[in-house]
Amino acid sequence: MTTTFTPARPIWCAGCGDFGVLQALVNALEELGVPPHKRMVIAGIGCSGSLQNNLSCYGYHALHGRVLPTATGAKLANPELTVIGVGGDGDGYAIGGGHLMHAFKRNPGVTYIVMNNGTYGLTKGQPSPTAPVGYGDNIEEDLDPIMLGLSIPGSTFLARAYSGAPAQLLELTKAALEHTAAGRGMSYLEVLSPCVTYNDTYRDWRTSVYDIDAEAGYDAGNRAQAFVRMSELREQGRLPLGLVYRGERPALEELALNRDFEAPALQDVAGPAALAGYREAMQSFMR
Amino acid sequence: MSTAKRQLEDLNVIVSGQGGDGSLTVINILADVLRGYGLRVYTERDVLSRIKGGITAATLRAYNGERLCIGSDIDLLVAFDVLAVKKHAYRLNERSVVIYDNSGGGLPEGHGVPAGARVIGVPLSRHAVRTFRRDIYKNSISFAVIGRLLGLADADMRTSFEKRFGRRGAQALKYNLDALTIGCSLADEAGLTTDAGMYDIVGKETRPHMLITGNEAVAFGFLVGGGRFFAGYPITPSTDIMEWLVKWMPKFGGVVRQAEDELSAVNMAIGAALTGTRTMIATCGPGLSLMQEGIGQLGMAEIPLIVVDAQRGGPSTGLPTKPEQSDINLMVYGGHGDFPRVVLAPGTPEECFHLAVEAGNLAEKYQCPVFMALDQGLSQNLATVDPFDLEKVVVDRGKRLDEQGLAQAEAYRRYAFSDDGVSAFAAPGMAGGMSLVTGNEHDEWGLVSTDPVNRVKMMDKRQRKLESMQPDLPRAVNHGVETADIGFVGVGMTYGVILEAIDLLAEQGVYAQYHQPRTLFPMLDETPTFTRRCKRTYVVEYSATAQLAKLIVAQGGEQANIHNILKYDGTPMRAEEIVRRVLGDLGVKEVEVA
Repeated sequence: MTTTFTPARPIWCAGCGDFGVLQALVNALEELGVPPHKRMVIAGIGCSGSLQNNLSCYGYHALHGRVLPTATGAKLANPELTVIGVGGDGDGYAIGGGHLMHAFKRNPGVTYIVMNNGTYGLTKGQPSPTAPVGYGDNIEEDLDPIMLGLSIPGSTFLARAYSGAPAQLLELTKAALEHTAAGRGMSYLEVLSPCVTYNDTYRDWRTSVYDIDAEAGYDAGNRAQAFVRMSELREQGRLPLGLVYRGERPALEELALNRDFEAPALQDVAGPAALAGYREAMQSFMR
Repeated sequence: MSTAKRQLEDLNVIVSGQGGDGSLTVINILADVLRGYGLRVYTERDVLSRIKGGITAATLRAYNGERLCIGSDIDLLVAFDVLAVKKHAYRLNERSVVIYDNSGGGLPEGHGVPAGARVIGVPLSRHAVRTFRRDIYKNSISFAVIGRLLGLADADMRTSFEKRFGRRGAQALKYNLDALTIGCSLADEAGLTTDAGMYDIVGKETRPHMLITGNEAVAFGFLVGGGRFFAGYPITPSTDIMEWLVKWMPKFGGVVRQAEDELSAVNMAIGAALTGTRTMIATCGPGLSLMQEGIGQLGMAEIPLIVVDAQRGGPSTGLPTKPEQSDINLMVYGGHGDFPRVVLAPGTPEECFHLAVEAGNLAEKYQCPVFMALDQGLSQNLATVDPFDLEKVVVDRGKRLDEQGLAQAEAYRRYAFSDDGVSAFAAPGMAGGMSLVTGNEHDEWGLVSTDPVNRVKMMDKRQRKLESMQPDLPRAVNHGVETADIGFVGVGMTYGVILEAIDLLAEQGVYAQYHQPRTLFPMLDETPTFTRRCKRTYVVEYSATAQLAKLIVAQGGEQANIHNILKYDGTPMRAEEIVRRVLGDLGVKEVEVA
């Protein structure tokens, strides 16, 4: 057996919500039988951006905010990998916010887990895009990325979990991985993951979360209804948990790859296999 | 008029008008016909950053031999607009011919055409509108007049139209052929009958050849070099690379994605490169500025990537469609922190092809960013090029572990220390190769580390690649007389101009040599050595601050011997400019050469 890196112990503060996310991800991957060498975990910058060090996988620590473009490139190049993007709310919604809508639009086969704590923990507590008015000196309205996702017709899987509700977190993590594994594209899972040091929201969130999975008559296949319900709950000051929306659309890699060939990463490009094709391409320049 | 026909050895033609007048189409068809007569051709375009309007121009040089630049004097100016006559008149001489559209009247006062030049007014637009109700057909009408003037056979003109417009459907072909016929009768009226041509066109070239731009050659070279992933964001003058690959990559199982911005493009590329796919991005100054964080990541995390910079006039949005070579500093020094990188500089479309393969090989062998420094001229100008020898292409993917090699290894450390600074790579997906890749300083496993001893060892490991890659770096090409005291150094689109200047100087009895570096960084000793060997070395470049010359001095070049020829007005250099400068410096009086 080849020795590989020994997963590091998490660097998070005791009580950090990210422990729950890591545990759920590890358990979900085990339960679904995704072997370590098929996992590619692409992490952002911030406390949550060290998660890839804590499990056995091919891990990549992306530039700040660039988890989704990186994961998209990796999945297109090798669709046999289970590509999982992880990061925080600052990484995903602020510096990387521009990529989020384009990822929804593209629908790449990537599971994207955002650990949302409403603050920049690593730089000691500045407000993030999901910080409410009144957090510190924040005067800006907070962003609801699930509603952003609902507003983009290409999105196919939008869910929110809470690290304080581990059973649902595990189920949603599995559902997200399964959605992507089935070739339906991007699964987006936001996890409310409190920062015990700079924004300890356990007490607030315990009372404000609302389980949409348990709501009779809620149809996660109906985008318009989901949007209305999310708006209502927001006005009531509630934080909806559960599978908010699931749609049907082929994944980006299904559309972008020519399946007559091996995936880009798996082709033997050093050999002469493509020579006849190259000659044909050169012919297009001949006069 | 004189009926003594000249042998066509060197012909320079400008077709100019408002953007959208179809000047480029005329030049492209002309290039095709003249190429058919066995001449080598080179075309240049002068466009504005707008879809229609403004005065634009396309220029062609047909040469009995090889010239990769436009000549200093223009033999024929075709103008769809009187403003176009005014704009280009300074490049005409008493032997030049002007064909202009006189639908709106004759040439106004102060048109600037030199005395002695032959001026032919033809109502192109009036006939286009009268017959087709579309002004745009004036360019096809003009082609007949040009052809008759040059001495092209009517049948050859028709054939070239069939080739060009046949793809656009029967209707388009018919209208354009009708326009050609109208043009022939207008030519007859202007005295340009079928036997009135100025030239006997006898070319030497009979072998099959390509007409290709530097951008196309880079894209093709990348593909043949095993490139299978490209990400980009449209930006002039690099966009043609993406356009070509969009068309061809899927036929080889490759992927091209147009990203939402350059930040996304470079990171998509990083994602693909992480999986072991040969990957490229292409951009120019503004895009490369946005990509800088990604470039540093490539260096630190040891990820291979080809980065093409089709340089244009900067800074900022600058001159978006005009040439410059002022990103050399950005390529050589850009990004924060210290990390190894390579900067290659092709001078011809052929070198664009071969260096695109080499760039991929170097990137994967040394696991770092490899830049290709192009410029607007090299990127977009079309040239006659001999077919590439595809069988000679060698793809070297560097130290890669396969499943078997991985299984035999006692341990797999992504960043294992090594003498050459390169650590073996196992592509994700292989059992037993789990590893961590990060832009944080890290230990051999890829785990984040701030340990000072490890930091120094890791930094030194990465920097060692600059030494170990030396044997693989593309060498310079030296042209001209090796013992000459006058030397030139230049890259990219200065290549053709310098070579022509050397020939023109030789006619004046001044001999010179040209050192054409193909690796700008890490600079090989050969380049600073050249500046010590020549008494006067002219570094010819498109930069106000002499970025190339300063780089050479920083790498040990002899400052006292270096003289700058700088151009940053957004127009291409002409050989005559270099010749005048050198003769002036030497105090040599120019003599008229027949």
